[in-house]
Amino acid sequence: MSMTVELQVNGVERRGETEARKTLVDFLREDLGLTGTHVGCEHGVCGACTVLLDGEPVRSCLMLAVQASGHEIATIEGLGNPENLNPLQTALRQSHGFQCGFCTPGFLMTATALLRDDPGISEEELRAELSGNICRCTGYQSIIEGIMQAAHSLAEQQGGE
Amino acid sequence: MATTRSVGTAALRIEDQRILTGRGRYVDDVVLPGMLHAAFVRSPVAHAAIVGIDASAALELPGVHAVFTGADMVERTKPLEPINPPEGFRFEPVPALAHERVRFVGDPVAIVIADSRYIAEDACELIEVDYEPLQPIVTIEEAVDPAVPAIFQSLQGNVVFEKMVSNGPVDELFAQADLVLSRTFREHRIAAVPMECRGGVAEYSSGTGRFTFHASTQSPHSLRLQLSNCLGLPLDRTQVVNSDIGGAFGLKISHHREEIALCAAALWLGRPVKWMEDRNEHLLAAGQARDEKLTLEAAVTRDGRVLALKGDLVVDSGCYVGVPFTAGTTAIMIGSLITGPYDIKACAVNCRVVVTNKATRNAYRGPWAMETWARERLLDIIAHELEMDPADIRRRNFVRGGEGDRMPAGLSLEGITSAESLERNLSVAGYDELRELQARGREEGRFLGVGFATFIEAAPGPLEGRPRRSERARVVIQPDGHAIIYTSQVPHGQGHETTLRQVASDELGIPMEHITVTHGDTQTTPFALVGTGGSLAATMANGAVLYASRAVKDQLLRAASELLEVAVEDLEVADGDIAPVGVPSRKMPVSDVAMRAYMNPALLGDDRDGEVLSAVFDYSGGKGGWSGGTHLCMVEVDVETGHVAIRRYLVVEDCGQMVNPAIVEGQIRGGIAQGIGEVLLEHSAYDSDGNFLAATFMDYLLPTSSEVPPIEIVHLESAPNDEVSFRGVGEGGLLVAPAALTNAIEDALRPFGVEITEQYLPPSRILELVGTV
Amino acid sequence: MKPGNFEYRVTDSVDEAVSLLAEHGDEAKVIAGGQSLVPLMNLRLARPSVLVDINPVRSLGAVRRNGDVVIGAMVRHREAERSTELRSATPIVCHALSYVGHPAIRSRGTIGGSVAHSDPAAELPTVLTALDATVVARSVRGERQILAEDFFTGFLTTSLDADEVVTEIRMADRKAGWGWGFEEFSRRHGDFAVVGVAAMVAADDRDRVADARLVFSGVGATPVRAHEAEEALRGESAGSEAFREALAVAARSLDPPDDLHGSAAYRRHLATVLGERALMAAWERSSGKDR
Repeated sequence: MSMTVELQVNGVERRGETEARKTLVDFLREDLGLTGTHVGCEHGVCGACTVLLDGEPVRSCLMLAVQASGHEIATIEGLGNPENLNPLQTALRQSHGFQCGFCTPGFLMTATALLRDDPGISEEELRAELSGNICRCTGYQSIIEGIMQAAHSLAEQQGGE
Repeated sequence: MATTRSVGTAALRIEDQRILTGRGRYVDDVVLPGMLHAAFVRSPVAHAAIVGIDASAALELPGVHAVFTGADMVERTKPLEPINPPEGFRFEPVPALAHERVRFVGDPVAIVIADSRYIAEDACELIEVDYEPLQPIVTIEEAVDPAVPAIFQSLQGNVVFEKMVSNGPVDELFAQADLVLSRTFREHRIAAVPMECRGGVAEYSSGTGRFTFHASTQSPHSLRLQLSNCLGLPLDRTQVVNSDIGGAFGLKISHHREEIALCAAALWLGRPVKWMEDRNEHLLAAGQARDEKLTLEAAVTRDGRVLALKGDLVVDSGCYVGVPFTAGTTAIMIGSLITGPYDIKACAVNCRVVVTNKATRNAYRGPWAMETWARERLLDIIAHELEMDPADIRRRNFVRGGEGDRMPAGLSLEGITSAESLERNLSVAGYDELRELQARGREEGRFLGVGFATFIEAAPGPLEGRPRRSERARVVIQPDGHAIIYTSQVPHGQGHETTLRQVASDELGIPMEHITVTHGDTQTTPFALVGTGGSLAATMANGAVLYASRAVKDQLLRAASELLEVAVEDLEVADGDIAPVGVPSRKMPVSDVAMRAYMNPALLGDDRDGEVLSAVFDYSGGKGGWSGGTHLCMVEVDVETGHVAIRRYLVVEDCGQMVNPAIVEGQIRGGIAQGIGEVLLEHSAYDSDGNFLAATFMDYLLPTSSEVPPIEIVHLESAPNDEVSFRGVGEGGLLVAPAALTNAIEDALRPFGVEITEQYLPPSRILELVGTV
Repeated sequence: MKPGNFEYRVTDSVDEAVSLLAEHGDEAKVIAGGQSLVPLMNLRLARPSVLVDINPVRSLGAVRRNGDVVIGAMVRHREAERSTELRSATPIVCHALSYVGHPAIRSRGTIGGSVAHSDPAAELPTVLTALDATVVARSVRGERQILAEDFFTGFLTTSLDADEVVTEIRMADRKAGWGWGFEEFSRRHGDFAVVGVAAMVAADDRDRVADARLVFSGVGATPVRAHEAEEALRGESAGSEAFREALAVAARSLDPPDDLHGSAAYRRHLATVLGERALMAAWERSSGKDR
């Protein structure tokens, strides 16, 4: 059955017609052309599909697109752009955070929410919080370094205000 | 003019600009007009005859365009075959879909093409396949048994390859031994599991006869040959082009039957077709790794000298033959390399490959790793037997790396720094303090263990004894003074778009921002059987780029010399400008010189043939050499739960000169993380009927940030032996981490008399070894 | 791994939800957070013809405390984990929830969903059994209250009728004098438990166990309550010796599964190790004691 989906993505009102069974990640990628969010497992374990729903991280492979109607979605495309990386992206570039990049969107959205809620997060806490995002390339150390660096920068900024 | 060299620095990756902003383009992001979607029907049984396939209900489903089966593939395509398998390796060519028989759970039986993946999967459910089960052959023991039926009738048995790899006077040295120790080592079955599954988009234009396969492959040129051969496509109108690749680790060197079936469907339907593998299929059918048994015997003197090794190796390669490379090559490598960096004068390993009703074996990051693991384990076992410290037994046996030092197999070991890496590691780690910590821990009822292992990797290997190979790069300076590098490398996380530019930038004197790397497209890149794999890029690709850049720079300076009326040897290029040495005010931008050279090629010399400001270089690796090092880890085993925590992990490694230390370290840490997974978490398990037990991420467990500790790395950077002295690190981490880890676990459990000869040590197994359970 | 087709109905009222369930019977499935259901649907192991989406039902989204503690079925794991009321009334629930998957799972997953899904390796069914919680279910025929221990009847199976939906979970407010302990061992951080234990202990004024609850996850098709062990504990002087003996009693009656993540013997062993730790923690937390 075909249904209308109306939602806000990265601050922009978007609309589509789709089957009820279509997952949110497939809707974002295929119907809206936002291919930044990746499909890694389709059973909620790897975290590559993580987006923010009303500011909270969710597995977009485990939501139906229709369930996102009326909500605000944030994806990696909303974070910054190649000419203008945001502080988190800049820090992860400095730390050589990633290699193949496939897991990256999930990590960035998870980290965006984490740093917003807990900029003073410790490395140990960060390791635990990130354990729901799987990376096969890096061994995680470079990702953790980057996010901790971003946390410090944000904390400094906030401290200076 | 001062120039800052880029090689040797952690230059920021250009790839990150797109990766960090979600603007990478992976093959699932490729969307073509009129594109259809494929899904596969796969066998639910390990071994059966296909009695019949009824796709009528599927074909009636709205949105379904076609169903093709093994019969179609056999009739209209040629099967896949390996390239240059070792002599005596027996195989049956592999049709793209199972024909008459299925031979593993997940064996693709039919391909469905539909308007969407959703509909294609609906259609798959409607296809009825009648199977007549046959006896499943699931273990090495079953496979070597001549009484067990052959999985491939034409191959007379399930042992498909046997070769004795023997070097040196083995029997003589065994006769001299004070002690002979023998152990049987077992590596379990695991898988590469990149975050991006397999997939592709195939496109055929009947008007032009052009076939394009948008792929996620480490070997685009080799895949192009296979497509052309299997589908009868003219090679000159067949193109394979990669997008960004979400990891591969060797799995995507293989050419997969699903790729052929997908391309056949696109060809026959005349419409683009996409197949994106899902994770369940991936774990079932993308291919698996390791699954080997090695009985290793050492002839040892009373004071700990290892005189010789004998071995019996069996590699379980799953059912279908590996394409393009068979498991036979890996088996021979294990037999040849097992003496490692030690002064072991003779070695004889009987290497066999068997087939079983399991997924095909891929080459996964250091596919010959059994040689490092078994040897480093056995050394510890020998040390314990002789009441020696494991450091001492290594010290007693290391080759020092002098001229004339060589392996029994003939490869020169000159220049290896294994002994240095061990000493440095123990020193940085504070070995004595670690032993004290361990002793105090035991008093408190805690079980800490220290383990270390040393390895060498032929990346690319020494000039003497390594296979002949060469890699081509092409460097062109454009009329605007910017350069393009055309490489056969196929980066999938290694950062070649950055590292190759570092090398070229330093050599050409042009800023990195003015250089681009073109890769992954068979139409524009140099031919190579494997694009990226085998830890070869550091030497081969960088070397090719270095010398091609140098040749182009010579042309540039020739033109500048004409324009500035200064001798070539008095000119220098830096930061995009050419100037006479010491007279920066007379500088000319490279862009000016380049444009003028294009407009007037005579500037490059009246007598000169060839393209303007373009050079190709085929680099054969120079003097080459070994990468290697020593990994040490300290673990704590909770003997109540069986949990193993890694308290410390220290790497001392030597890969010669580094182009980009951050990228080198990323490769090492990634490999170690996979090693942690291999030992503590990952198992591609089958039951005795050949049913697969780990088909989701609930059961195939990858290490997360909670399981991988911070890893310290010290670089030895041994002195260059050649102008190009970069050596590969892609595989090293995974080659040796399982050895360091299992050595540490055995050390921790020493009070329980545990000896470890298997590699999969989940908590329940730990407690079985300890005797609690 | 795409789900099969289904008819999708969404509602903001419990009445409408139960009407829909009555209409479609066992062809219909309720979807709340979807964190357990959608993976099964993606794998096509679950094939509902009708999906009744109750996410907009606001009336089920509250935590209330009025003598009893009442958690609405649509309360997300994350909300419950952070709820100050639950933290003070039933802290074992908050603690156990921190083991449930990862934050992204807990953003969507619901208390009611976890209960209705009935995975024997999950945290909540085990904890609710130890708390003597009551599951409230509604259908067109009215409301039913089912004791947690009777609610979880088998692997992914409950005593819910096909046309019933879980509306809330009720528990006694923090029982005076009771202490709690929760232990879990999993292969990785955030995974399902290989074995988990929820323990509650009440002490009398002579340092003896007045009453206890001991419930295991991961050792059977449902949470397993160790009645004999609880009986063995009553009246005993609290301490590791009594606890160890009680756990030996418990272990004898356990018949855990053998699977990829552990043998039956291993699970039985873990149950005793974790059980002792959980009982000690519960003892330490039980009120009025100086420890």
